[in-house]
Amino acid sequence: MSGSYLIKRLLWGVLLMAGVVVLNFLLIRLAPGDAALVIAGEMGGASEEMLASIRKEYGLDRPLMVQLGLYLADMARLDFGQSFYFNQPVTGLIAQRVGATILLVIVAQLLAIFIGVVLGVLAARNPGGPMSAFVSVFATIGYAVPVFWTGIMLIILFASVLPIFPVEGMQSVKLREAGIIVKSLDILHHLVLPAFTLAVIYLAQYARLSRASMLEVLGSDYIRTARAKGASEASVLFKHALRNAALPILTVAGLQFGNLISGALLVETVFNWPGMGRLAFDSILRRDHPTILGVLFFSAAMVVVANLLTDLAYRFADPRLRGRT
Amino acid sequence: MSRILEIDDLAVDFDTRFGRVRALDGVSVGLEAGETLGLVGESGCGKSITALAVMGLVPTPPGRIGAGSIRFCGEELIKAPKSRLRNLRGAEIAMIFQEPMSSLNPVFTVEDQIVEAIMLHRPIEYDAARREAVALLERVGIPEAAQRARDYPHQLSGGMRQRVMIAMAVSCRPRVLIADEPTTALDVTVQAQIFDLLGEIQHEFGVAIILITHDMGVISEMADRVAVMYAGRIIEEAGADDVLDHPQHPYTRGLIACIPTLEDDASLREIPGVVPPLHALGRGCAFADRCAYMDARCRRERPALAPTGHHANACLAVAEGRL
Ligand SMILES: Nc1ncnc2c1ncn2[C@@H]1O[C@H](COP(=O)(O)OP(=O)(O)OP(=O)(O)O)[C@@H](O)[C@H]1O
Ligand SMILES: [Mg+2]
Repeated sequence: MSGSYLIKRLLWGVLLMAGVVVLNFLLIRLAPGDAALVIAGEMGGASEEMLASIRKEYGLDRPLMVQLGLYLADMARLDFGQSFYFNQPVTGLIAQRVGATILLVIVAQLLAIFIGVVLGVLAARNPGGPMSAFVSVFATIGYAVPVFWTGIMLIILFASVLPIFPVEGMQSVKLREAGIIVKSLDILHHLVLPAFTLAVIYLAQYARLSRASMLEVLGSDYIRTARAKGASEASVLFKHALRNAALPILTVAGLQFGNLISGALLVETVFNWPGMGRLAFDSILRRDHPTILGVLFFSAAMVVVANLLTDLAYRFADPRLRGRT
Repeated sequence: MSRILEIDDLAVDFDTRFGRVRALDGVSVGLEAGETLGLVGESGCGKSITALAVMGLVPTPPGRIGAGSIRFCGEELIKAPKSRLRNLRGAEIAMIFQEPMSSLNPVFTVEDQIVEAIMLHRPIEYDAARREAVALLERVGIPEAAQRARDYPHQLSGGMRQRVMIAMAVSCRPRVLIADEPTTALDVTVQAQIFDLLGEIQHEFGVAIILITHDMGVISEMADRVAVMYAGRIIEEAGADDVLDHPQHPYTRGLIACIPTLEDDASLREIPGVVPPLHALGRGCAFADRCAYMDARCRRERPALAPTGHHANACLAVAEGRL
């Protein structure tokens, strides 16, 4: 892999982030509603002078372009400003929550890919068989059903009928003082339902995609060569075929990452998972512009990083792409 | 000499949208140790399916073995357990294919693919297998074999890839090598090199080769014996010189008349008519419609492969002396 390629991709990422920041800032400021009123509202009512002084304090009285310039300068120092609502630095607010979101998104993504690919491979082994029919039906349902519906159904199921998984939050209060291992297990226990809910839609897509991709690859000449060598069926499927069929799956996984993050917003809200999605949701209701902008920035950064990693993984998986810039 | 491969009355059926068709019908042919058997015939006559049946790799579904027996060193392969066939494939019976461009896995290095073939069948350490892979690459004429071994297939030319396929196929010293039109996708000078290499390899490794081709010129260069196929059957079988000098079946005569010579570019000539599709084969001889010697009996009866001395043919006109 060439270093210059990496540098080029990184520069692209930075440029993209700058674009995202400017766009977000302008969109938020163009949205109706006076931030000063919100801030004042939190303080319990406001006179005209008070509003003016708030505007002055938060720089809201300056021309839009000056505000943008100042904001960008702050951004460059990774200073996202003060939350209107919490009256604390946005960076701190996000730092408390970003880990929970990353955990949720990554576990959901891995779950979706792993289960989806296994289902797809098994379906492709026998395209007319029952597994194949199951994948088709499951993919259609998984695709059509909205995330919050799955979530609410799971909550109903696991809150009343089969209470084996917690349906709310990330940690049990009574385990706050427990050791690291117990605590981690507790978090995993809480993670099951939100991660599964988030995974379901994508899982169905991965199953369908890997079924199609495997079917195509299994018909190719090098699979016949592998069989002619005397390779076992498992080796043919999971080594020779899957390594090739994984390429389109990887592409989609990268593209899905953005969707997954916006899906996480809903899932976090449904399951009260203390991540950035929950924070974004609350901040939008509160018109807490700096927090919204911060959350958007971090989400975009996650997508950019995920896409970069996908690209690198793709080059690793497909030797025909290595060495190209 | 001893027969190492014996195909007897083999039939292969395919389920198609025209119903079940018989792609191979009553194919019987043997292979002696160390010899080269040419399998010739027009496209679609069943050469590759015969080869795949020997490998146990007929795509099922839609295909299946309808009848017959295939014996390797006396051992029946048709009903053999899958694990036994896997152990034979690559170890005792190896195959190279028509498309060197797509027959190697694009995501593994050449070396990895040869090492895999070696380690599947032989108790050998990884490092030793790697050294052997490089030695094999050297043997099949790949320059700077040690470096090229680390290449991926897309970094090699078509001719080089076919050399890799050959190296891989002979890596476990098989007794039978099936080469299914190994040079069709390559340009002419490379074709000659690959055939030379196959000849050397055969000599050195003592492997018997089934060489599939539709080029009678290649047969005259390479083969000891020839079986000519038409519409899923063998219609003539004899020593290569016999067939080339004294073809009996009208179809074989047609094929030989089409070999280009220096004076006359006969390759532009063709046997008139087309091969009937499998689902439309009637009761009679499948070649009847294209045959100048056809009579009423040819339409009614399908001739069996009748030996005349060492030279077998399936033609009523020949049997009745009408030719
Ligand atoms: N997957 C398949 N499904 C249906 N029929 C098939 C299939 N594969 C082969 N056949 C039938 O078997 C017949 C023989 O095919 P085969 O591939 O052996 O021909 P061939 O002699 O190798 O031709 P070529 O010179 O073009 O390679 C074909 O006419 C085709 O109709
Ligand atoms: Mg063929």
